[in-house]
Amino acid sequence: MEINRQFDEYYENSYIQGGTACCPGCGGPLFWRMTLEALGPKTIIYGDGPCAYCAIRNIKLPNFGIHFSFVADGSTGILAALAAKGREDITVVSSGGDGAIGDISFGKVSAAAERNENMIQICVDNEAYMNTGIQKSGLTPFGAWTTTTPLGKETPKKEIPLIIAQHRVPYVATTSVAYPRDLQAKLKKASGIQGFKYLHTVIPCPTGWRFDPAKSVEVVRLGVETWVWPLYEIEGGVLRVTLKPKQRPVEDYLKAQNRFRHLSDDQIKFIQSETDTRRQRLLENDGKRIIL
Amino acid sequence: MSFTRMMEGNEAAAWGARLSRAEVVPAYPITPQTEVISHIATFIAEGKMKAQYIKVEGEHTAMAAAVGASVAGARVFTASASQGIAYMEEALWMPPGRRLPIVMCMVNRALAPIGGLRPDHNDSLMQRDNGWIQLYCENSQEVLDTIIMAYRIGEDRRVYLPVASCYDGYFVSATATPTTVPDQVEVDEFLPPYVHEMYSLMPETYRPRPFEMNIAKARYEVQQAHERAKVVIEEVDVEYSKRFSRGYDGLLEEYACDDVDAVLMTMGSMTGTARDVVDEMQASGKRIGLLKLRGFRPFPTEELQGLAKRFHAIGVVDRNTSYGSAGGGIVSMEVARALYPLEDRPLLLNFHVGLGGSDVTMRQIGYMADKTLEAVETGRVEKAVDWVELVDLGEVM
Repeated sequence: MEINRQFDEYYENSYIQGGTACCPGCGGPLFWRMTLEALGPKTIIYGDGPCAYCAIRNIKLPNFGIHFSFVADGSTGILAALAAKGREDITVVSSGGDGAIGDISFGKVSAAAERNENMIQICVDNEAYMNTGIQKSGLTPFGAWTTTTPLGKETPKKEIPLIIAQHRVPYVATTSVAYPRDLQAKLKKASGIQGFKYLHTVIPCPTGWRFDPAKSVEVVRLGVETWVWPLYEIEGGVLRVTLKPKQRPVEDYLKAQNRFRHLSDDQIKFIQSETDTRRQRLLENDGKRIIL
Repeated sequence: MSFTRMMEGNEAAAWGARLSRAEVVPAYPITPQTEVISHIATFIAEGKMKAQYIKVEGEHTAMAAAVGASVAGARVFTASASQGIAYMEEALWMPPGRRLPIVMCMVNRALAPIGGLRPDHNDSLMQRDNGWIQLYCENSQEVLDTIIMAYRIGEDRRVYLPVASCYDGYFVSATATPTTVPDQVEVDEFLPPYVHEMYSLMPETYRPRPFEMNIAKARYEVQQAHERAKVVIEEVDVEYSKRFSRGYDGLLEEYACDDVDAVLMTMGSMTGTARDVVDEMQASGKRIGLLKLRGFRPFPTEELQGLAKRFHAIGVVDRNTSYGSAGGGIVSMEVARALYPLEDRPLLLNFHVGLGGSDVTMRQIGYMADKTLEAVETGRVEKAVDWVELVDLGEVM
């Protein structure tokens, strides 16, 4: 009973309602709760369809969304309307899943970045089309099983944050729901910057990644600790690695999810060496300007 | 101050948006629409129009941004054509369902691959089922006036639907005709600022769109809005003509239809040529009149039924194709459905002409009028669907 009361009280004061259409262990509602806490009530959220929208449907703040071929476009319109009405006090957030931003709406996000629209563009990345039932997207990692890559994906994940950074936008960051302070600090920083801000966040998906829903946060934390999911920001073209955990072997992360269970030792070695190279490159360039 | 000068259709459209005080214009260029948005960009650059012009990367985004801006409470204008409308199609379904009174110019141009840069109506007509109001214009003046009226119609709380002002590329878009630009003060009096009474996206007044669980009900509501729009379009037309001394007879215009046996029905720029042909033929004793179909959506069913009793034959001129259809072009099928319930209905002929923007000549219109009158005489239709351009009329094109 006491726990029920605490929950009720929590959701009473939260910008998101309790109870969602999401799967158990979904990182979506968790992410939005942290995000809205950081951004406050003067926020309009524009989201694409599927998984991300299931989560944001319960948001108590102004929001609307269309399908995942619509990312960063309606929010551009909202920004123009706000400018026409002289309302510069409102933060506009545009959200999209990995399939939207990596594939079908990639051009739209790129165009909004080029126009330097004054919005926070968020990518809620669960590394596949989960709402349609786990299909490969451009942001599915190498080796991962999905229903359209039954033998594992053969190509690596698209590096969207670095691609967006090359648009010379003022701010790009990667985040994880396992690190709420880092996430909220980056959001707060982003909301204070004029122009296009891009925030790429990993959302654990027990259904698609094939693991126990109770271990959601644990699994994404392993992603960060193994450096599969490095946390960094690129502000004004300068890279800063925001968290430098002691590196754990990628096997710890891969073995925690059944989507990787078919991987051979060689494949795991390959992922390890790719991860090491990436980590090394990031650390070498830490504090340096990385925009060409 | 009001002034009159020669003006191309596209410039008239830009004036329409400017006088209507459109606040957000998301647009992407495409021939033959381009001058609409370049004129608007110039108006804004010169400080004569206060609008946010979003230079988007494609038509899909243009309409999606229009939806976003409209939901957030801004008056929105955009324009496109042909392939652009086709690319935009997914987004074009959003405003009617969300009841957003966006106004858009559809500058007609044939679709690829059997098309070209010149006009036919398949691009806008393929949007006939998605809930947009469609008004077809004949010249620059009508384009300008229709845009101003379109905001009044779409923003009427009985309607809340997006409105497309359609006009033929080149024949209207790039042909200068005398155009009167009304006074801004007069337009402001005619068209009050836009406020959506159903929902709002602003944090202080946030009201989400009512989520209708019953899909049939929600669709029926859009259908009813179209029915009500018929009345609103007539009302707005009457009010506009009182104030600006120009009107367009709402959805359907009769031209020289008194005491005739048969009529041709046209849409868009060819109507101007048809007026001349009908005048000439009547002068030589032929009893043919002209109906100009201005409103394709909502379709003026009742009005047409009322008129039909007066004619023995109707020749519908279709500047479009509907491959494998029940018979003929899109407009003729609508007319057939409208007339079918009548016990004493006129004969129906259908002509395909002007496809891909080829000229609709006076001789072709004369041919179609003659065929329609011939049907009245013989009491039967010799050829239900006639591809006029395949008939040798002895013309050098």
